[in-house]
Amino acid sequence: MTDTTTSTDPNEPVTMMEYFMSLAYSDIVSAPVMRFRDALMDGRLIAQQCPKCKLVYVPPKGYCPIDTIELDERNEIQLADAGTVTNYTVVTPVQYYGQKETEPFVRASILLDPPGGMLILQDILDTPIDEVRPGMRVKAVWAKKGKRNVDEIGNRSGSALEGSLLGFKPTGEPDTPAESFSDKVW
Amino acid sequence: MAAVKPLKDIAIIGYAQARNERQAQATEVQFLFPVINEALEMSKIPRRELGFTCAGSCDYLSGQTFAFVMNLEAVGAWPPISESHVEMDGAWALYEAWVRLQHEDIETALVFGSGKSSPGKPAEIYPLQMDPYTLTPLGIDPVSMAAIQARALLDAGKVTERQMAEIAARSRRDAMKNPHAQVTGEFDVDELLAQPYVNAPLRTHDLPPISDGATAVILATAEKARQVCERPAWIRGLDHRIEAHQPGMRDLTVSTSTKLAGQAAGVGDAPIEVAELSATFSHQEPVLKEALGLGDDVAINPSGGPLAGNPVMAVGLARIAEAAKQIVEGGHTRTVGHATSGMCLQQNLVCVLEGD
Repeated sequence: MTDTTTSTDPNEPVTMMEYFMSLAYSDIVSAPVMRFRDALMDGRLIAQQCPKCKLVYVPPKGYCPIDTIELDERNEIQLADAGTVTNYTVVTPVQYYGQKETEPFVRASILLDPPGGMLILQDILDTPIDEVRPGMRVKAVWAKKGKRNVDEIGNRSGSALEGSLLGFKPTGEPDTPAESFSDKVW
Repeated sequence: MAAVKPLKDIAIIGYAQARNERQAQATEVQFLFPVINEALEMSKIPRRELGFTCAGSCDYLSGQTFAFVMNLEAVGAWPPISESHVEMDGAWALYEAWVRLQHEDIETALVFGSGKSSPGKPAEIYPLQMDPYTLTPLGIDPVSMAAIQARALLDAGKVTERQMAEIAARSRRDAMKNPHAQVTGEFDVDELLAQPYVNAPLRTHDLPPISDGATAVILATAEKARQVCERPAWIRGLDHRIEAHQPGMRDLTVSTSTKLAGQAAGVGDAPIEVAELSATFSHQEPVLKEALGLGDDVAINPSGGPLAGNPVMAVGLARIAEAAKQIVEGGHTRTVGHATSGMCLQQNLVCVLEGD
């Protein structure tokens, strides 16, 4: 392709310039996410539940935006580490800088068993892609104690828990009927 | 010529601020929560009755895309609400809400400004708001630009380094009574002047602190304000003006835009008792005083002002909230709140408030 924007002639007017910049941010982890990290190191998932609407927030964030109620330790609950795939996406990786995956892979939304809570973008381990389906029963696979780390978990990491919760594995139980989670498909 | 419809009286009936912190552990949404709740409680307006919400914030500060959308979680936006956002100080969100209330179809509005400056490096972030061809590549940051402005003022004989230190000492002494302030205390002017320069001719005390914080204000139409509020702070004049972006095209020793905004807002129509000014650097206070025609009898920044706490995107709205507080709680009858944006007082907003 012919580059029409640059000229080596010093008498030509400047038509384009490059400016490279980078911005570095360092965020401090909020109190609820700090407790969430501690629980992950312990192989547990915790969340906050709004006392009014009963919605479950995982990771906990310190408030319920629906009822505008502040939440704290008193609203924290222990979650199950088994649940149902409610939806999924097959990602075909493009080899952009930093992409480690080379083959198509699944990212699934998982509705945890009661008291509930939704984890998004979860890996379904040791399962051919065409076997993943909504309704599939799965259980969490944790990194071994001593091998877990939560270095990547901050206020903005959401459901990305790879350092501690490696992903989910099918349990082989009968599928959950779609009607039971159709209002929670993400 | 068509007759100009007179502007409607709008009042401030509630306000609240977060405590300014150098680094808040709480997320921006978390520290907005109690601020919005407290302002609503003071106004006695039920949250679901709010007619409009307008926020001011900047995603670059915390480095989070769509942080401004996330901030709505502290408002209560389900079922959906009517809201807007300005990538400016919350004072300009107040301006938008004030214009919105002129339509007379709604009675109340929530305005807030918030910012978490602690995660980033202001000297890296601020050059990005400048002209990307001639200024951003120079890495022009607010402290360097303020130093150029201070030098111009010193050279023009409009301020002395001692006066600047006195302004800083007075601000931080006054701030001892302000529970939201971040930098407070008694400082000896001679000792301040013995300190080394950060960017000559500015010393540490001439600079604002880096602050995380938030401010919320509730506005109401005259009828609604009289129903729910014993002593509203009436917005009698509100105007904002902007000057050339390129600092080299401006005389940095004066603030023409503040002067014009002040005239349009009617600052000089009657005596002002208290002025809360966004004099982010010590030397900007005399520039703003002169532009607004404020004499030495006017109390300047009794809250301590931006030198005691500078939550970017909330600090200008905080000045208006403090000016309103002087009427609602302080018993004053005529005050002014001022907000600024851009480098070296490029854009300025002036709000004149009155009590009954």
